[in-house]
Amino acid sequence: MNTMPARDPAAEVAVSRPSDEPPRPNPRKLVGRLADLVLSDYFVLYMSLAYVAVLAPFLPTLLLPANIVNVMSNMWPLLAVAVGQTFVLAIAGIDLSQGSVVAMTSVIGAALIATVANPVVLSNAPIWGVLIAEDGGLLNGMTGSLLAAILVMIMVAMLIGLLNGAAVAMLNMPAFMVTLVSMITFSALAIYLTQSENIARLPAEYVRLGKGDIVSVYFGAKEESQIARRTIYSFISYPMVIAVSLAIAMHLLLNRTVFGRYVLAIGINRKAAEISGVPVRRIIVTVYMLSAACAAIGALLYSARLEAGRPTLGEGTFLLDVIGAVVIGGTSLFGGKAKILWTFFGVLFFVLLSNTLNLMNLSSFQVDMVKGAVILGAALLDVFRTRLMRERSG
Amino acid sequence: MKLLINTATAALLAIAGAGYATSAQAATICFAFQDLETEFWIAGHKAITTTLTEAGHTVIERNANEDANRQLEQVRDCVAQGVDGIIIIPQDGESAVTIVNEAQSADVPIAVFNRPPSDLSKGIIVVADNATIAEQATDFVVGQALESTSGDEKLNALIIVGDLGDPNAVGRKDGFYAAINKHEDRFNVIEVASEWDAATALANLEAAVTANPEIDMMFTSSDFLFPTIRSVLEPRGMWKKAGEEGHIPLAGLDGDATACQLIKDGFVSATGVQDLYFEADSAMTAILKAVEEGNAQPNEVIEDPGFALTSANLADREMDMWGCVLLSEGFLKN
Repeated sequence: MNTMPARDPAAEVAVSRPSDEPPRPNPRKLVGRLADLVLSDYFVLYMSLAYVAVLAPFLPTLLLPANIVNVMSNMWPLLAVAVGQTFVLAIAGIDLSQGSVVAMTSVIGAALIATVANPVVLSNAPIWGVLIAEDGGLLNGMTGSLLAAILVMIMVAMLIGLLNGAAVAMLNMPAFMVTLVSMITFSALAIYLTQSENIARLPAEYVRLGKGDIVSVYFGAKEESQIARRTIYSFISYPMVIAVSLAIAMHLLLNRTVFGRYVLAIGINRKAAEISGVPVRRIIVTVYMLSAACAAIGALLYSARLEAGRPTLGEGTFLLDVIGAVVIGGTSLFGGKAKILWTFFGVLFFVLLSNTLNLMNLSSFQVDMVKGAVILGAALLDVFRTRLMRERSG
Repeated sequence: MKLLINTATAALLAIAGAGYATSAQAATICFAFQDLETEFWIAGHKAITTTLTEAGHTVIERNANEDANRQLEQVRDCVAQGVDGIIIIPQDGESAVTIVNEAQSADVPIAVFNRPPSDLSKGIIVVADNATIAEQATDFVVGQALESTSGDEKLNALIIVGDLGDPNAVGRKDGFYAAINKHEDRFNVIEVASEWDAATALANLEAAVTANPEIDMMFTSSDFLFPTIRSVLEPRGMWKKAGEEGHIPLAGLDGDATACQLIKDGFVSATGVQDLYFEADSAMTAILKAVEEGNAQPNEVIEDPGFALTSANLADREMDMWGCVLLSEGFLKN
């Protein structure tokens, strides 16, 4: 069998003959570079930059500092929830219950530390007199109440994650069904616990975690005695620090630990991982607990920015945003391929997309339709990337 | 439907817009609303957007689709775009407080249309006197219920309560009880939660009516629930016109076209009327005034006194109710 490629005399002539013509682009090389780009960790970041470059001339407010600050502030709560979902998708699972965890934990956290409560609104709620009363939440005024409330939120979330994980790992139930049931049950429970009412009057230090600035900036000379508040921009904020710290911790967990390798191994092939001695069930349970804990951190950020625990948080298109951001980032829906960095870029692109669609004055329905289409595109891209990687490794 | 609302509101828009025809400067106003699920919100939305646009102002619309977080982000987007003022229909009283603070912190004047924040001290708040209006409407059906009995037996009064996180719902509930408490010894009260959601109201009302088949009067905190009430009462033979055996005196609040039709047909006895066009007009006037004066933190409560349209005063006051105006323009025929 002849393995030598056929010689192309014309090509030889072209190479040997000195010429003033610029070298022709090699289509194979171009395809190869394109494939490299698609497989790059930074693909979605490049896509985001290109997207901004294309739209900036048409949307003059896009690059205004105030708008950039908005995009960033909208990223942090979503990022916190999305990093948890990344772990679940990495094991080829899915966690539809994250929205209900956000609702449950926001309500419980708020009930514990509210400074005061209105009996007209809440006296019919089952938590009235148990977690909250007229003089505020159970932990209101106690030393370390903020930390305690956050810990309770995370523990409640992890308990829900434990239930999800146990059902998936021990009973071999489909993750879709288990977390769908959790979503319905715990959303309803959150509404029942408060009788659909929001819990407001949260302490200032709690609210600060959702919208407080650590470093603010002002661009320009100080020509007047008072700088207009709308020209002072948030630069480093509490939610940024919380979400980025969480993302870094989860990145280290996924990429630098044995646990992370186990997670990816389960996603690639659960049976093979089991045979190789990976404690599959324990890892799956832990992953669902981590996902729920991240949702609780998201709940903290969402409820703090809205200054109320809300049983309806996490409803509507929330899951579309979370899963969409993770998938757009490049985490595979088939499992075994996930990076927190990808999720970060996915969240950035997704928030940017929402922001630009708003700036185009599209209706919320049109915005959701475009988002859905983009997620579908990302899922198709995932299929393409997976095939490309297989071809390269083969 | 849009075309019809355009036609239906044209006359009133002309009145509402008269004040802006000579407006000094064109402003960019962000109009952020939580959804357009009821006739009241649709008509209010139309009144505000059309009037502002016709007066030469630019309106940036944002529909939060009942998501408080999305509404917060949308308002922040509006602020980033450098709008001159914001008119908002918030998701609820708590998120309204947060959003008003957010806008005022960015030195953008904000007006809250019809659904007030739980803290009335900040922003331009345009709100109906829900308690008084509800009391007037309830007084009428209480009178009818008492007239229909000869003895001293206790009567069952049913109230469909709104989302109590919304101060409007609290005011309407208070107004209902103010009327009932005038005859405290004569009524047992059955409360049905709706959370401003027709499906929730349907489920809860069915349960309540099954448990208490003898209902002597009923008050719904919003007119948009009349079709829901009908779907529960009709199969049970309890949906009757005034004068028919088994008629239940019914009252509501809002003043929409459906309520107007039902009062004319005799199924409903009264409804509390919010003066939609007064409220829209007040919100627009106040926000444009603040923009013109450069007042970034205008704080003002503008109260719509409202009134109750009843089967007794229908002939005199029909055209004072916005829903009857829409009805006369053929709103319900589509």
